[in-house]
Amino acid sequence: MNLLYFDPGLGAMVIQAIVAAVAGVILFSKNLMYKIKVFLGITKLHEEEMVDNIEIKDQD
Amino acid sequence: MNINNKHASSFRDPSGYVFTDEGVLKRVIFPIYFKQYQKLTQSGFFESLFDNKLLIPHTEISKTDTEILIQPKFIPFIIYPYEWSFNMYKEAALLTLKLQKYSIENGFSLKDASAFNITFLEGKAVFIDTLSFDFYQENSPWRAYKQFITHFFGPLVLARYHGAQSLKIMSNFIDGIPIKMIASMLPFKTKLNPFLYTNIHLLAKFEDKHNEDYKGETKAASLSRKGQLNIIESLYDFIKNLSLKEHSEWGNYYNKTNYVDEAFNLKSDIINQWILNLKADTLIDVGGNDGTFVRKIDKKLKHALVCDIDNNAIDFNYKQIKEKKEIFITPFVLDVLNPSASIGFQNTERDSFLNRIITFSPDVTLALAIIHHMSLSGNVAFDMSAQFFASFSKHLIIEFPKRNDSWVQRLLNSKVDFKDHFDFYNIENFEKTYLKYFDLIEKQHIHNSERIMYLLKVK
Repeated sequence: MNLLYFDPGLGAMVIQAIVAAVAGVILFSKNLMYKIKVFLGITKLHEEEMVDNIEIKDQD
Repeated sequence: MNINNKHASSFRDPSGYVFTDEGVLKRVIFPIYFKQYQKLTQSGFFESLFDNKLLIPHTEISKTDTEILIQPKFIPFIIYPYEWSFNMYKEAALLTLKLQKYSIENGFSLKDASAFNITFLEGKAVFIDTLSFDFYQENSPWRAYKQFITHFFGPLVLARYHGAQSLKIMSNFIDGIPIKMIASMLPFKTKLNPFLYTNIHLLAKFEDKHNEDYKGETKAASLSRKGQLNIIESLYDFIKNLSLKEHSEWGNYYNKTNYVDEAFNLKSDIINQWILNLKADTLIDVGGNDGTFVRKIDKKLKHALVCDIDNNAIDFNYKQIKEKKEIFITPFVLDVLNPSASIGFQNTERDSFLNRIITFSPDVTLALAIIHHMSLSGNVAFDMSAQFFASFSKHLIIEFPKRNDSWVQRLLNSKVDFKDHFDFYNIENFEKTYLKYFDLIEKQHIHNSERIMYLLKVK
């Protein structure tokens, strides 16, 4: 790990495995709920929002 | 290279530094970062971010074995995290996550996640620290994770529970709000939310525990690429859906002012005409609320700064900028009675509002319905406010509400016994004092109101 010019926090490095595991469960269940809601017609796909989604388009 | 012009905030990252060359901002890159820079350039990574308007574009000026010189696109007025509205802050946080996800997918990783890496240009958040991208090392955790929490996630969650004003806390913590403090300020119920618990409360505990590991005995942590993407995506989801609990005090200000429609239109016609006559390209509207009056100006402006003390008004302004895809307005939160100070090492890393506005030097300043607040709520004498307004732009359009204006009366009445102290607040005193610093170009009464508009030119 080069160019480390600030303290990333040791605890913060160690904890990320736990944070990631919890995040995985949350993302999985949200996705599942979303699919169920779309299936039942409660939520519509692709609603217009002020904020974009996380993807960045690659240039050709 | 004249190292004396090195920007005061540019000392942390050994990859290079930023300096000004006859007023133009440039960036030097050292050999230690050549590999990264070349890969980022050749792979089209930079180009893709430029095209998406996520990273400030730059051009390469020169290249030798010892340094590469690049020149980033000019940003007329930098605004700092403690001057952003809630949704601006959100956008900056989401931009950082977006960049990190894209980086990981392309073999890079953000080596820091400071909120100061971002500012706003043409109605969008833009990343300005070009050298923040490093190579991603397989199975390594995100080393900027804690910084992201203390710079972005923590402040945003605090704002949800304590109001958008709490975002100003960042002006006291240049490297993010301490994680323990964030944890202590959140209500107990946040501990019951697994997402908030792990990203804040547990993080605070872990940091506390590993704080005393001076020998570095903790073994290096590892995290899969998928794991890191989970963290980033879940933070993105959470922040995207984060909203404030409070409602705006001023949000619907124009519905409850003492203006009748006719007077309101008259006022905006006067401003419009004066701006046209002055051929102004740039302006600042001090106390500009949601930018209503700036939007009524017909003259095409190059750049308009609109500041207000109320975070919600700035937020409302920002939402309109987004909806209308406007690129000429920069909205920001500013308390004119306590404008942003110079902070950081030697008090020079982040510039004060006053220094920035003097450099920006707008063609005209709008001070609409603010003088009574400054004089009566803030106890600022006419002499002081006149000096302030005369210090950074050539022209001033100022609205003076007379003593019998209902707002002025309300402010005066709230002074109770102290009311006599404000006898100075009248037209005669105002004109006498302001004309010491300004020449009067034009003066107009707004019919059907107790207000007068002045167009002044600095002496």
